[in-house]
Formats: sequence, structure tokens, C-alpha cells
Amino acid sequence: MDTKFKKIVFENSDMIVNMWMKEIETLKDGNYTSSVSDELFESTNREFVNVIFSSIQHRGSTHVVEDFSEKLINLGWPLSYITDGLQVFRRVTIDFILSHTERIDSTYISELIRSVDLWTEPLIRQLVNEYSGSWEHIVSLQRVALQELSAPLIPVMDNITIMPLIGTIDTERAKLIMENLLDGVIKHNSEVVLMDITGVPVVDTMVAHHIIQAAEAVRLIGSTCILVGIRPEIAQTIVNLGINLDKFPTQSSLKKGFSAALNMTGRDIVENQAKHKQIQDMIDSLSRE
Amino acid sequence: MKKIPILKLHDYLLVSIQTEIDDQTAMQFQEDLLQKIHVTGATGVVIDLTSVDMIDSFIAKVLGDVVTMSDLMGATVVLTGIQPAVAMTLIDLGIHLQNVPTALDIEQGLVKLHQELGA
Amino acid sequence: MEKSCVSIKIELDIVAARQLGRELAKQVGFSVVDQARFATAVSELARNIYLYADQGEISFDIIKNMNQSGLRLTATDKGPGIRDISQVMQDGYTTSGGLGAGLPGVRRLMDDFDIISEENIGTTVTVVKWKR
Repeated sequence: MDTKFKKIVFENSDMIVNMWMKEIETLKDGNYTSSVSDELFESTNREFVNVIFSSIQHRGSTHVVEDFSEKLINLGWPLSYITDGLQVFRRVTIDFILSHTERIDSTYISELIRSVDLWTEPLIRQLVNEYSGSWEHIVSLQRVALQELSAPLIPVMDNITIMPLIGTIDTERAKLIMENLLDGVIKHNSEVVLMDITGVPVVDTMVAHHIIQAAEAVRLIGSTCILVGIRPEIAQTIVNLGINLDKFPTQSSLKKGFSAALNMTGRDIVENQAKHKQIQDMIDSLSRE
Repeated sequence: MKKIPILKLHDYLLVSIQTEIDDQTAMQFQEDLLQKIHVTGATGVVIDLTSVDMIDSFIAKVLGDVVTMSDLMGATVVLTGIQPAVAMTLIDLGIHLQNVPTALDIEQGLVKLHQELGA
Repeated sequence: MEKSCVSIKIELDIVAARQLGRELAKQVGFSVVDQARFATAVSELARNIYLYADQGEISFDIIKNMNQSGLRLTATDKGPGIRDISQVMQDGYTTSGGLGAGLPGVRRLMDDFDIISEENIGTTVTVVKWKR
């Protein structure tokens, strides 16, 4: 039976393609591909239907499908274009074959549906795999990228280190931050660490909990953590949520935190007087003339 | 049974824990240290934990108790050199040793004692 | 799958159990922090056996699933059992004068946690740490 169906389809491929193209055209409006030019849409459709036919002919030849899916992925076409296209192909083909057969009984119909399903199944599977494979690849790349910029530790002075935090903090990242923080404190022998949360968009109980834990771990290994960069709205959420940050020092800005850190390590900023003196000397020398 | 050595340095006592601590050693150490504080009249103690790779809730409790007990006897205790891995484990366990002074190493521990005792 | 056991009868067995635990954690390839977490969990569970059930057994096995490997720890005793599990899982609850950080702490140290206990029959705690 299967060979017979195939014969019908290939003998009438032009008609089926035309029917398919017409159906696909109706899906275009108000849909995913509405921003695509008509010529590109038309040519892609033609290529798609060729891929479908060659796949049926060669029982799922993979190269053509691979090239096609790669092209679609690069163009950024949605996966739904492919699934819709194959659905339409099934519908159109079944309709076509039924309308060209005189004797129809239930066995015949079920045989037909089975055959057409078997033609499209490997295609759907492969195309979906190609798509999801490309997504997974992107996600894993982004995860690595995120980890790389996750938690840098900058030693700015003997015994003083700054850790700027940027972006949302989840449990996974919080662990990484804590590990980097503690290892860095030991490595740089930091008496004071300034944790800057200016770049953290939202501080909820979970984020605050992670920050508090990190600060407490820092205290356990014998250093002090100052939390800086607390913006007004973050101060408000912290108090409204009933989070207690009393136990460790906080400052509104990195600047204030840094002078607190200098203070804790027994240092002070001294203005260099030389500049004033030079100007004074210049004025003096001018008045002498 | 293992015994943890306690060294005297002027008014301070120095302890470096180098062995795997079992419960009995920990209890014995508690007793020895308090006895030594009593005998020497030491005002400060530094306990260095650099070589300790694990602190569970029991040992944490013994350490916390030692600090409080020594305090009662007039000696301030500073814990030094707690490893990052150990600190993270303690945080996971929910043990924060809140009232215990800490420092990065023995040297800074001694500086901290000096500051706290105002001498 | 390999399996190793330590029976807990005397206090020093706690040290033996956690040393073996750390050794296995190293073999599986845990990070230093996770080695410490695992060894600490072993110590807590072994001490619970010693304190409350007098004797019991700690066993380890290396497990693998689709894309990760991990270390499973089973602590079994035939002690008095736990009447109210939700109570012992609360932070700060203790009957021995400890910190009350044991079981809730172990749950935070490990990835999977399971406890089965029946009064006068015994307690089994099974925990898993996955390699990150």
C-alpha cells in the first residue's frame, strides 16, 4: 500500500505542492512570518516542500534537512513554521489521495494515515532536534558567559578588596559568589571586603538571605564585610520585609564604604599639599616682579 | 588519646589545632584550656584552625562554649584561620558563632586581641 | 556499584566514618567545599546514631544517573526512633544539649534528603550529594 500512496503523491507532486503553497499562504497573515518579504517567503516555502519530498523519497535523508533547518535557524524563523508546514502537508496529502481514490473503506483510511505519518515523523523529529539543539547550545554558552562575569574580586589596596555584584542573584550564583569571595579574602589577605550591590536590581528576602550568609561566612574566616551601594528603594524593601542587617556594617555608597574600610584598617586619606604650595609660590613669584 | 598543645606567650595563650578532632579530644581540650587560663592568668587566647578541614555541630558547640567559658574567666578568645570550605559548611549548618571574635591568621589574631584588650 | 560500610559502636567510629566519607568524596571528584559539606554531614549522622541509638551503621555508595554522579549515604540504626519528624527537622530543636543544627543542617548540606523512622524499631536517613 505504502508504495502505491507514494506513487500517487510523486505523480501528482505539482498539484500537491500548489495546494500546500495555498494553505501555507493563508497562515502568513497575522502570523509569525508576517514581517518577511513575499519573495523570501515564497522561495523558502518552495525549498521547504522540496525538502519534504526529497525526505520522503530517500526515507529521511538527513543532509538536505540539516542544511534547511540550519538556514531557518540562522534566519530566526520560529519552530512553529516547520510544524505548521508539516501539518498542512499531511492534511493536504491525505485529502488529495482520498479524493483520487474510488474505493474507500476504514482499513484504507487508516493505512493511508499511517503511511503519511511515517513519512513526516522522521522529518519532524529531526527538525525539532536541530532547533532544540541550537537553543540548548545557546543556553549553555550564555550560562558560561554569565558565570565568567559572575563575581570578580578586585584588590584595591593592601587588605582591602571590593566585590561588585551585578544582576540577579539566584541560589546557584550565590554559592559561586560565596566561594569566590572567601577564596579571594584568603588569597589577598583582606581584612575588609566591600560588597557593592549597586548593580543588583532587586533585593528580596532570598537575595538578602544570600548576602547575609556570605557576609557571615566572611566574618567566620576572620575578615569583615561591608555592604555598600544600598539605594533608597533597597533600604525601604529591606526594612519593609523585616530583614535584619544590623549585624554588619552597611554604607550607601562605595565611596563612604571605602573610607570606612580605611578607617578599620587604621588608615586615613591625606591631601597632598604640594599643589597648593606650588600655586602659592607662583603667585608669590609674580608679585615680586 | 591525642592532646592539643597550649603554648604561653606573655599574657596570651596560643593554640594551633593540627589533628583531626574527635569528641573526646575536644572535651579534653576544653578542660585543659580553662585550667591553663586559671593557672597562668592569661587575658587572651588565640585558637588557630588553619589545619582543620571540618567542623561539625558538636565541635562548633565545644568551640563556642570554650569562648564563653574563657570569657567568664576573664580571657578573650579569638578564632583564626577558619578555612573557606569550613566556613561555608558552618553557614549551611546554620551555625554562625555570632559572639566569637575571628581573624584571618595568628598574627592578625594577636593584633585583634591587643585592640580588644586595649593594651 | 561499590559500597562501603562503617559500623558505629564507639565514639571514635564517628571519626572513622567521616574520614572514609571525605576520602570517597575526593574520589568522586567533589570540590573542596563539597568534600567538607559531605564529611560534615557524615559526622552529624554518625553522631546521631552514637548519641540516640547507641549503635548502627553508615554506608556509602557511588551512584550515577543520566548526566551526573554522586555519593549516597545511608545511616541506619535500630534505636528508639523519632516520634515527631517535623519537630527534629526544626532548627534549634535538641534533646541532647547540642546546637540543634544536626538534621536540618544535614538537609542544607546535601542535595537530596530522606528520613524514615518508626518508634522502637529504628531510623534510616538517606542523603545524596551530587557532583557539581
